[in-house]
Amino acid sequence: MVIAIGFEGSANKLGVGIVKDGVVLSNPRHTYITPPGQGFLPKDTAKHHRDHALDVLQAALEEAKIKPDEIDVICYTKGPGMGAPLVSTALVARTVAQLWKKPIIAVNHCIGHIEMGRLITGAVNPTVLYVSGGNTQVIAYSEKRYRIFGETIDIAVGNCLDRFARVLKLSNDPSPGYNIEQLAKKGKRFLEMPYVVKGMDVSFSGLLSYIEEKAPLLLETNEYTPEDLCFSLQETVFAMLIEITERAMAHCGSQEVLIVGGVGCNKRLQDMMDIMVKERGATLYATDERFCIDNGAMIAQAGWEMFKTGLVTPLQETTCTQRYRTDEVEVTWRD
Amino acid sequence: MNPLSADIQIPFPSDHEAEIAYGSLSVDKEPKRGGVSKTMTFSHNVLNVHFQAQEARMLRVSINSFFEHLKLVVETMERFGPPR
Repeated sequence: MVIAIGFEGSANKLGVGIVKDGVVLSNPRHTYITPPGQGFLPKDTAKHHRDHALDVLQAALEEAKIKPDEIDVICYTKGPGMGAPLVSTALVARTVAQLWKKPIIAVNHCIGHIEMGRLITGAVNPTVLYVSGGNTQVIAYSEKRYRIFGETIDIAVGNCLDRFARVLKLSNDPSPGYNIEQLAKKGKRFLEMPYVVKGMDVSFSGLLSYIEEKAPLLLETNEYTPEDLCFSLQETVFAMLIEITERAMAHCGSQEVLIVGGVGCNKRLQDMMDIMVKERGATLYATDERFCIDNGAMIAQAGWEMFKTGLVTPLQETTCTQRYRTDEVEVTWRD
Repeated sequence: MNPLSADIQIPFPSDHEAEIAYGSLSVDKEPKRGGVSKTMTFSHNVLNVHFQAQEARMLRVSINSFFEHLKLVVETMERFGPPR
C-alpha cells in the first residue's frame, strides 16, 4: 500500500491531491480567477498559490482522513509551467517532505495528465491528445517514452481560446474556455478562418490574430454575433486537433484515444473526436473537469507510479523548470 | 566594478527548523539575467543569506522574493510541523 500526495501549481490552479493505490482520496483545488479581459501574470499567480497552498493542503488531508505519517511520498510539479508559481508550490512540498521525513519526487506535469487519464478511464495504450492553456500535443507511448507525434508550433489551443475570450470580455469564471463553449452552443453562422495544419503539427497564432483583428467590426455591424464567432473558432481549432490525432492513430495502428488537459473537458471537442473515433472502430476515453483540469491528484498518481519503480528525487535536485518536454522523462513504470 | 551586497540572518526557534528552511530555500537558483548571486548557509538555529548584485534594483527584487518564500516556508512549518 502506497499513499502519495501531489502538489500542482504550474499555472493558475493550485491543487493538492492524495492517491492511495489508484484510489483518489481527496483532490481539492483553488483557481486564480482574473477579471474579464485579463490573463493571469506569473507574479500574481505565485502570490495566489502562496496565499492558498496551506489551506488547500489542509483540506486535502482532512478530506482524505489521512495523517502526515501515513503518507509514503510527496510529489510536486517540476514543470513545464510558469516559473514563479511552480517555485511557490514546490517550496511547500519541500518543506513538508522534510517536516514529515518523507521522500520527494519531481513530476512532469504532462505525464501527470496522461497517467491520471489512464487511471480514471482505464485506457491501456491510447493515443493521447493533450490540450490545455499551455500545451497542445498528440502523444503515443513507445519504448519507455511518451513520444510527441504532433504539437503546436506556436501558442496552445487553450491560450488561443482564452485570449479570444478576452476580446469578447467574457468572464474567466469558472474558465474562459467554459464560457466560450456555452456561447458556441448558440452559434449559427460559420465564419471561415485560417485552418493551419502543417504535417503533424498545428498553429494557432495566425488564427488568433485573424479573429482578433476581424471580430470588432464583424460584431459592430451585427454581421456575426459573439455566439457565431465562438462557434466558428471552436469548430475550426477542434477540427485541426482531430485531424492530427487521426493521423497519429493511423500511424500507430492505435484503437484508443484519450483526451486530457483543461480543454479536454469541452463537450464539443469530445463529440467531434467521438465521431472520428467511431468511424475508425476505435474507443474514445475522456474525463470530466475534476481530472481534466490541472489538479493535485494527477501529480500524486504519476509520482506514485514513479515511486513504485524505485525513483526518488534528492532534495537538492528538487528544482523547477519552465520547459520540460514530455519525452524527456523515461517511463520506467510501463512495459 | 563595485558589487552591492547584503547579508541577512534569520534566527529560528530550533536548529532543526533552520535546517529545513535551508533545505527548502537553497534549492532554487537565482535567475541568470538578474545578475544577482545568492549564497546560503546555516549554523545552529540561524540561516545566513548573502546577496551580491551589480544593480540596487535587482538586489531589492531578489531580497523581496527571498522574504516571500521565507514567509511561506515558516508558515508551512508552523501549520504542519510537529507540535513543540
